[in-house]
Amino acid sequence: MEKKIVDYDVAIIGGGAAGLTAGIYCGRARLKTIIFEKSLVGGLATYTDEIENYPGFAEPQKGIELMKKFEAQAKRFGVEFKLTDVKGVRVLEDGRKLVETFRVIYRVRALIIATGGKPRLTGAKNEEDFLYDKGISFCATCDAAYYTDKEVLIVGSGDAAIEEGLFLTKFARKVKVSVIHDAGTLDANKIAQEQAFANPKMEFIWNTMVEEFRGNERLETVILRNTKTEELIPVTVDGVFLFIGYLPNTEIFQGLITLDGRGYIKTNEQMETDVEGVYAVGDVREKYLRQVSTAVGDGAIAAVTAEHYISESNYLQNQLLAGEKPKLIYVWEPTKEDCRQLLPVVEELKVKFEDELVIEKIDVYKSQSLITKLCSKMPSALPAVITVEDGKVTSVVCQQLTPEKLHQLASDLLPG
Amino acid sequence: MAEYRLDCLGEACPVPLLKTQKKFAGLNVGDVLIVEIDHSCAMKNVPEWARKEGHNVEIEETGDGEWEIYIEKAK
Repeated sequence: MEKKIVDYDVAIIGGGAAGLTAGIYCGRARLKTIIFEKSLVGGLATYTDEIENYPGFAEPQKGIELMKKFEAQAKRFGVEFKLTDVKGVRVLEDGRKLVETFRVIYRVRALIIATGGKPRLTGAKNEEDFLYDKGISFCATCDAAYYTDKEVLIVGSGDAAIEEGLFLTKFARKVKVSVIHDAGTLDANKIAQEQAFANPKMEFIWNTMVEEFRGNERLETVILRNTKTEELIPVTVDGVFLFIGYLPNTEIFQGLITLDGRGYIKTNEQMETDVEGVYAVGDVREKYLRQVSTAVGDGAIAAVTAEHYISESNYLQNQLLAGEKPKLIYVWEPTKEDCRQLLPVVEELKVKFEDELVIEKIDVYKSQSLITKLCSKMPSALPAVITVEDGKVTSVVCQQLTPEKLHQLASDLLPG
Repeated sequence: MAEYRLDCLGEACPVPLLKTQKKFAGLNVGDVLIVEIDHSCAMKNVPEWARKEGHNVEIEETGDGEWEIYIEKAK
């Protein structure tokens, strides 16, 4: 069955904090925008019980409630949502991108990747057998109620492990924590540490890693291994929560975009990847701090960069390279005196050759990337003149531009 | 190519996933199961499980906090 093809300006893969913010900015810029989310809109933040450090909310917010506000805001700006997973991405020769889902192919001008991460597994024996509600969980807010008056084991000692562990103590009878470090050392922030050490329901098992998961239909026992003594410690549990970090969701981009050694997407400060018109934001990007507050900044930047890219591409294709008339493009910089001096001459030519030529001005200060798109590199000096005939750049002149030279260049372009 | 519905409205995790797994086992290749849910936790594990098993999944938001998960049995 042939898949239907539909066109959008921007596709955003991933509906977490970064993707939703990119959506808000794109929607507000009147770009036709679609967000793909494979499960619940809101991303990793919906796995967090309380978010205390997202500015603008003095009181702690439920992760899921905060993300609902993001979603509502994106919808208010006309952003469309498609709740399915993306199977693959391709770049066409004309620069557009194809985003393929189960039933439909979306053809877009710009693509923003906000696919975030997925929880890392321990790699211990029989782990696969107990995933999906058979005893191994990654989401305390999802499963806490189920473990009311039961015993659970947390693996990990970072912020997520300790904070979600504290949340679980409101439900579970006992929350044990397997920590790889020496006694007293946790990776979590100090506030969480203090609360955890003071909580009588929390019990730490130091210097341990998971060796094996055991049970029948459901998980019953976790075998921990003491990394110093090699002693095996069986822990009877009703459930285990893994908080040992995340892996980037970048499998479908391998070979298309440059990733770092750990699979995160490399970008510059404008969130640009090494593929033109493809941006990466949030947790999936190689970056220092992965938080809702940093994801939001990424999303805003990528959306604005994408908007510029789209409008420049439009201008290039529909203005500078389109139509039959030859074009004379004056490239200038407002701060340079000799650039400014020639402006009246350009205006004069515009009037004089109104019927025969298209005469445009490009301000380098605003549109450097437009010029590099047009003639692959910046002219070696400014002011400069680029001539376009039959949709192709035919010359770049940047030496000894005088009023006479400008007149001559224009005359040379005249047909016949 | 039959279509089945599974009402999991009002049910919290892990019930929707367990019911989905049970119902799905009796379906033929090409059949579609539509799971109706209104607990956001099921939006995380039901689609993830189905995809991991290799089936095609699409979700429709039918109301505020209500979803229909379409799972097409692929094998």
